[in-house]
Amino acid sequence: MIDILVKISFFFMLSSFIIGAVGSLVFMRNNWLANLCGNLFAFAGSAFGIITSAVILITGSVISCSLPTSFTLFTLSLHIDSLSAFFLFIISLISLLCSIYGIGYITHFFNKYNIGTLGFFYNIFIAGMVLVVTANNGLFFLIVWEIMSLASYFLVIYEHKDKENIKAGTLYFVMTHIGTAFIIFAFLLLYKTTGSFDFTIIKDNISGISPFMKNSIFVLTIIGFGTKAGIIPLHTWLPGAHPAAPSHVSALMSGVMIKTGIYMFIRIFLDILPDAPLWWGYTILIIGSISSLLGILYALIEHDIKRLLAYSSIENIGIILLGLGSALVFFSLNMKSFAIMGLIAALYHTLNHSIFKALLFMGAGSVISGTHTRNIEEYGGLIKTMPQTAFLFLIGSMAVSALPPFNGFFSEWLTFQSLFHGIKSFSFFTQLIFIIAAGSLIFTGGLAAACFVKAFGITFLARPRSEAAKHAKESSFTLRIGMASLAVLTLFFGLFAGPVSSMLSRISKSLCVFQDSESAISTQFHAVKLQDDFAIVSMPGILISLVLFITGIVIIIYLLTRNQKIRKGITWDCGTSLTPRMEITDTGFSRSLITIFGGLLKPSRQSDIEYHDANQRYFQKLNIATLGTRHDIYNTYLYKPLQGLVTIIADYVKTIQSGNINGYILYIFIAMMSLLLLFVI
Amino acid sequence: MFLASSQFLYFMEIMIFVSVIFMHMCKKNTSAVFLYMFQSSMLTLLLIIISIKEASLPFAMVTVFTFIIKVIIAPVFFLNLVKRHKFKFAVSTYLNMPMTLLTLTVLLTITHYKFLKPLVSLAPSKENLLLLSFATILASIFLIINRRGALSQMVGILSLENGIVSFASLAGLEENPGLQIGITFNLLVWVIIATVFVSMIYRKFGTLNVTTMKDLKE
Repeated sequence: MIDILVKISFFFMLSSFIIGAVGSLVFMRNNWLANLCGNLFAFAGSAFGIITSAVILITGSVISCSLPTSFTLFTLSLHIDSLSAFFLFIISLISLLCSIYGIGYITHFFNKYNIGTLGFFYNIFIAGMVLVVTANNGLFFLIVWEIMSLASYFLVIYEHKDKENIKAGTLYFVMTHIGTAFIIFAFLLLYKTTGSFDFTIIKDNISGISPFMKNSIFVLTIIGFGTKAGIIPLHTWLPGAHPAAPSHVSALMSGVMIKTGIYMFIRIFLDILPDAPLWWGYTILIIGSISSLLGILYALIEHDIKRLLAYSSIENIGIILLGLGSALVFFSLNMKSFAIMGLIAALYHTLNHSIFKALLFMGAGSVISGTHTRNIEEYGGLIKTMPQTAFLFLIGSMAVSALPPFNGFFSEWLTFQSLFHGIKSFSFFTQLIFIIAAGSLIFTGGLAAACFVKAFGITFLARPRSEAAKHAKESSFTLRIGMASLAVLTLFFGLFAGPVSSMLSRISKSLCVFQDSESAISTQFHAVKLQDDFAIVSMPGILISLVLFITGIVIIIYLLTRNQKIRKGITWDCGTSLTPRMEITDTGFSRSLITIFGGLLKPSRQSDIEYHDANQRYFQKLNIATLGTRHDIYNTYLYKPLQGLVTIIADYVKTIQSGNINGYILYIFIAMMSLLLLFVI
Repeated sequence: MFLASSQFLYFMEIMIFVSVIFMHMCKKNTSAVFLYMFQSSMLTLLLIIISIKEASLPFAMVTVFTFIIKVIIAPVFFLNLVKRHKFKFAVSTYLNMPMTLLTLTVLLTITHYKFLKPLVSLAPSKENLLLLSFATILASIFLIINRRGALSQMVGILSLENGIVSFASLAGLEENPGLQIGITFNLLVWVIIATVFVSMIYRKFGTLNVTTMKDLKE
């Protein structure tokens, strides 16, 4: 009975997305109708998605269905187990709130861009993501993966009048297809080993796979899905593409789409491929450490608010990988209870990051709508004109900075516990890897807090630094309702860490490798503790303590100052009138950190600076100043040499480009005859 | 009875192959088009025989569709093109006639060499027919390579397609009728687009000799 209900719900979900996509195109001549059709059907589809996933997660049932095609190896096969349902839940939840936000946000595209095409690709994009996490056939997966990638590409270049967006879209298009090429290669190796593209059959028949083949699939998977997940150095498309899309789409891309890469990591490394060797875990831990640290460093020096958030997503993917990497290491060392803990940390952070990153992107979108710029330097003082957006952005900033009682705190705490357990035991080399990972996470945590102090402070506090910021208005109701819902969720998933961890533990144990194992963490409604009492945390306890502490401080201040008269006067200004030029800027805020990490960030330096104030008084020349702009090291040391190599090869290959069609047909003829010859030999 | 005999099939296949040989030898575009028309007629006849043998109505529909597009529409398009631009003698080759015939002999020999035997395993009872249709494919590719004129190359491509269809039909590799009609419709679209392009190329360059279109390289 439940099976049938879930299947019906899933069918309704997909139907809603299709109707939303087609309806948007049908009503494309009417902006409002296209907008409502696109977003309301996406909302309905997402609601059905939440119902579908919630039922599966609660009942623990597994739903499968398959439609055969005339091609032997290709079936339209779906399989929704607890892991798929969890990712389906994340996709649906964020899509639902993005759709509410989108209704109001899209209005500023009216009469500038085609609203129908936005609605079409938006719905197709969500449907693609949903099918990616539920597909159970390699070929079907590749098709829906491509649908997701292409739909997101068209969303990235939606504001096509801006050439930068086209450039960002092109880079995304190229990178995503390079990634897809690696994925195809990995699936072909799986097919070669098992004779099938069906994930269930692959899982059943893969036990005899050779170590070489297994490791090759691992490497191909890391590159293929890592490109989508945005791990460094394969992230090069991400800081350009995510900001280029409309903000509610950026929220989906940064909050959800990149997680499809994480989903496939978990699915392949812990569910499909058997017996992960130790070095897989090491590799993922190192990738996670580099991605988290470099991601937040690049975020810190960004002036573009959406690029800052995009880099922060790279950082958070790194944190998720730290959890996943530790899970793999523990699994290889047959410490399955700790492996489950690491996996719970990764899954929890996946959920949390989706929520607070969507909130932050929506907040950024509201600010951009009000100020018409993405440059943080041109904001300032927005807390006065956009108080509710400021409050909601603050909650998002606190969550991403892992401050209690918000959700980011708990998942990072759990990741730390996994890493600390790695340091506590094992060989020297393993300890070293875990120490590096933990150190990286510690740095990342501190830098993330600094980054979002900057993002919030420069954007919302002090005085407006531009006319646009001065005259900005609070965002519309649907925008605020979308953000407020996410803000409530950040608190909800922070406070109810116990029940959520328990649910994630069930999901982890549903994977065949963990089926008879227990988790290293025990959960209660009010607290989560580690098996060996190594650590314990109570999120409601933290909230109550915080409330009591703040109340106490307020009371003390009140008692101390109740008899004092408050005298209001103008701010002391050293005899000159206050101007926004006196405020600390974004560049100024991050300069000291840029200097510290100069070796990594390679900041640009400017000498002989000459400047003047509003009264045209010239100041003395400085010698050298470090600027926020930087030369990305991965571009300098990886992509540029690679580009050079490709150019050299292309120059050689170009010699066969005669421009004569007869010549080209001759090449085909020779290739065909050679293949025939090979076939016989 | 006679129609269904293997001798008649063999005769049809020979006609298809011979038409490619004559395409190599002909000097006029109109002759090439008429030869293609003849070749397509033979292919249609081949398909009729197969559809009668299999008593398949959908297959018969595919045959009718093939006849309309390959024997009527495509040649009409090409003949109109030739008439409109008056390029009757735009045929020129890389190899001279003796060398062309020698190459065709080599290709025919290759098709009967042992390394194509695995292909025959698709339908062992029709070994000679399959090899001949494969020779048609190779000769058609060679036609595209050897001719400088765009129209001849287009005829070569269509002849190649005829060779593939005859090979697939004889080897029993037919796809479902819907797909076959789709492929034939695709061919119609290709013919229309190619005809338009050829017109544009002729207006731009004043010739259909592809070796003179150097500006297209970059």
